[in-house]
Amino acid sequence: MLYRTAGQFKTSYKSDMALFPVRQDAVLLMVILGFAWVVFPLTASEFAFQTLLIPILIYALAAQGLNILTGYAGQLSLGTAAFMGVGAYACYKLVTLFPWMNPIVAILLSGIFSAGVGVAFGIPSLRIKGFYLAIATLAAQFFLVWLFEKWGWLYNYNASGAIQVPNLEMFGHYVAGPQASSITQYYVVLAVVTLMTVLCINLTRGTLGRSWKATRDMDIAAELIGINLMRSKLTAFAVSSYVVGVAGALFVFMWRGAAEPNLFDIPLSFRILFIAIIGGLGSILGNYLGAILIVGLPVVLGTVPQALGLPVSSAMVEHLNIMIVGALIVFFLIIEPHGLARLWALIREKLIIWPFPH
Amino acid sequence: MKMLTKLAGAAALGALLAGGAMAEGLYAPNLAYRTGPFAATGIPLMNGQKDYMELMNARDGGIGGIAIDFDECETGYSTEKGVECYEKTKGKAIVTQPWSTGITLQVLPKTNVDEIPILAPGYGFSPMADGKVFQWAFNTPLSYWDGASILIKYLGAQGDLKGKKIAFLHLDHPFGKEPLPFLEAAAEAQGFELLPIPVGLKEMQNQSAQWLQIRRERPDYVIMWGWGAMNAGAITEAVKTKFPMENMLGVWWAGHDADLKIVGDAGKGYKSVSWSFPNPEAPIMADLQKYVVEPGNTQSNAEEMSGVFYSRGLVISMILGEGIRVAQEHAGKAEISPADLRWGLENLDITEARLDELGMTGMVPPFSTSCDNHTGHSGGWILEWDGEKFVKASDLIMPDSDMITPLEEKAAMEYADANQPWPVNDSCGG
Repeated sequence: MLYRTAGQFKTSYKSDMALFPVRQDAVLLMVILGFAWVVFPLTASEFAFQTLLIPILIYALAAQGLNILTGYAGQLSLGTAAFMGVGAYACYKLVTLFPWMNPIVAILLSGIFSAGVGVAFGIPSLRIKGFYLAIATLAAQFFLVWLFEKWGWLYNYNASGAIQVPNLEMFGHYVAGPQASSITQYYVVLAVVTLMTVLCINLTRGTLGRSWKATRDMDIAAELIGINLMRSKLTAFAVSSYVVGVAGALFVFMWRGAAEPNLFDIPLSFRILFIAIIGGLGSILGNYLGAILIVGLPVVLGTVPQALGLPVSSAMVEHLNIMIVGALIVFFLIIEPHGLARLWALIREKLIIWPFPH
Repeated sequence: MKMLTKLAGAAALGALLAGGAMAEGLYAPNLAYRTGPFAATGIPLMNGQKDYMELMNARDGGIGGIAIDFDECETGYSTEKGVECYEKTKGKAIVTQPWSTGITLQVLPKTNVDEIPILAPGYGFSPMADGKVFQWAFNTPLSYWDGASILIKYLGAQGDLKGKKIAFLHLDHPFGKEPLPFLEAAAEAQGFELLPIPVGLKEMQNQSAQWLQIRRERPDYVIMWGWGAMNAGAITEAVKTKFPMENMLGVWWAGHDADLKIVGDAGKGYKSVSWSFPNPEAPIMADLQKYVVEPGNTQSNAEEMSGVFYSRGLVISMILGEGIRVAQEHAGKAEISPADLRWGLENLDITEARLDELGMTGMVPPFSTSCDNHTGHSGGWILEWDGEKFVKASDLIMPDSDMITPLEEKAAMEYADANQPWPVNDSCGG
């Protein structure tokens, strides 16, 4: 009904392969972007910015980086948090060594360091696969967190061992640090995330993305048809780590404001992996849906008892929250093992052919 | 789809009503952790804090005639949840009680913008003592550097420290690293050798490598800066390696009854510095029994209530309560603002006489704060484990302020410089 495709004719190969073969998809995206760029910023409270909008975008971006590696190129990684840490520490060093640098430039540059480290730890992927590769990336996780703790230069020999985001100015507005307003930070995050998403969508649809998918589906077959596996795997590691590194820099500079090394420890890696898996491996949309479920839903659920005036203690709310979110994850994975993105794809398909069942 | 609509509906409802539902009175939220890896140590503290405020409301009808709406927001000791709680409560809160060094570090720079006092009794960043720079932060009655200084002073009284070797076993985390600048300065001044031994967060329960190092290096003393699972790990490991317990000392967070009960008699002689002490004879304990325990408004139990941590919770809420009272007297109204409370916390004067009035004799050393002294530097006692409970092993020992104050001022200025623009209150005297 809403998705009636009658009358939308494709007269050329180009229009058939367009980003939005169905007009309604484009309209829906415009509505969502309208909300993200105009409606939310105008209506959101400080609480909504700091606990819902900004973190969901940043987590979705991190999951998107991981999804390139795991979902598109099929290389399982457990080191996401460590690569985020590389981005965050690189950004910290950049803004403290070169205080005149534009913060957004620093954030985008810090991804390059992370990409370099990612490629270095991706080299073993040429020889080992699957769970064995996961162990190799786990080594990256442990080694990098250890490095963040021990290498004093990284945190400017701060007595507490933590990095603290200074106040950073851009065109007369504070964009990072305690003086920055939430709405400015939200727009910076949104702009970077939008840019990265456009980049990822186009990369995954192009030659590179196809060679990644071929590698994922069957690497021997891919090699036989002439795909250079080394190039394919290492570019996946590079692009993935770049996006993850940028997400890490945003994570600390646009949201947390301070970070200690153990923030980038394995629980964060798992959290991002869960977002990617529950959202749907091998999709861009899934990362956003996963982040809404894993990051946003607990926050919303936490406010419900108080809003309804139920006399539940906050520790109890926390326990209930863990149970409800856990149950929902199980529920969604049972009804659609391929994740939320696939669930949406099925709903959309049903809407297109409605009212006919087939 | 239906599910999603319902969820969206609930979310919208939640957002709509979030502002509306609140109880009457002064809103004093506590970022509690009754869940997560540190819950065992958190629960007695949270219970103590909550019960004190329950007592005020039940016995005196609040403070200055207004009820205290003491609310908990659960963080599970996670910094992320802590920031969420801070954002959730800051709209109407008169105080932030962040309850973890990680959360304190996050909210410290924000309070200058939001103008809400942070009350971090006995934790947080030691240079917060400098009230000129950290206008909104309070770590009464004693900072970590004070604690380290008291321990060194106590050890110095046992014999000259020159040429001695002191191992500093600490959590490799902002909290554990906190006293290092002071200890390094003290080592230089007094000629002892300092041996920092970090314990990673992942190694808390298995410290065999660290204790192997201790056995090899044979330090004269071990000072422990531990929290949560690390304490029990270190104490059992010390017993196993037969390290003489009387030469092992901990910070106040490493003086938890339950950690020592595991080893019982073998832990005899272990010491911990403390700025609070349980006094079962104190009148407040009888009042708590009558007004809070008997009506069934407590989550605590008799055994917990006799412990060090529960009574520390009481002291922490007392500090907040007194801050509110002083602020009310100064402002001339019951319903104070966060700025009023800051004035109150800056002008605390907890004397022996006042403690007697409160019914808390001997539970905390007397102290007073001022505009440029946000800690109070009350001094502390050395507590010793006698096999069953902690007993006082020393008189009140005062920290070496001559040495600490310049360090504090230097660190505070460094912090302010790194976080420009940072408003500094130069109107403070002294």
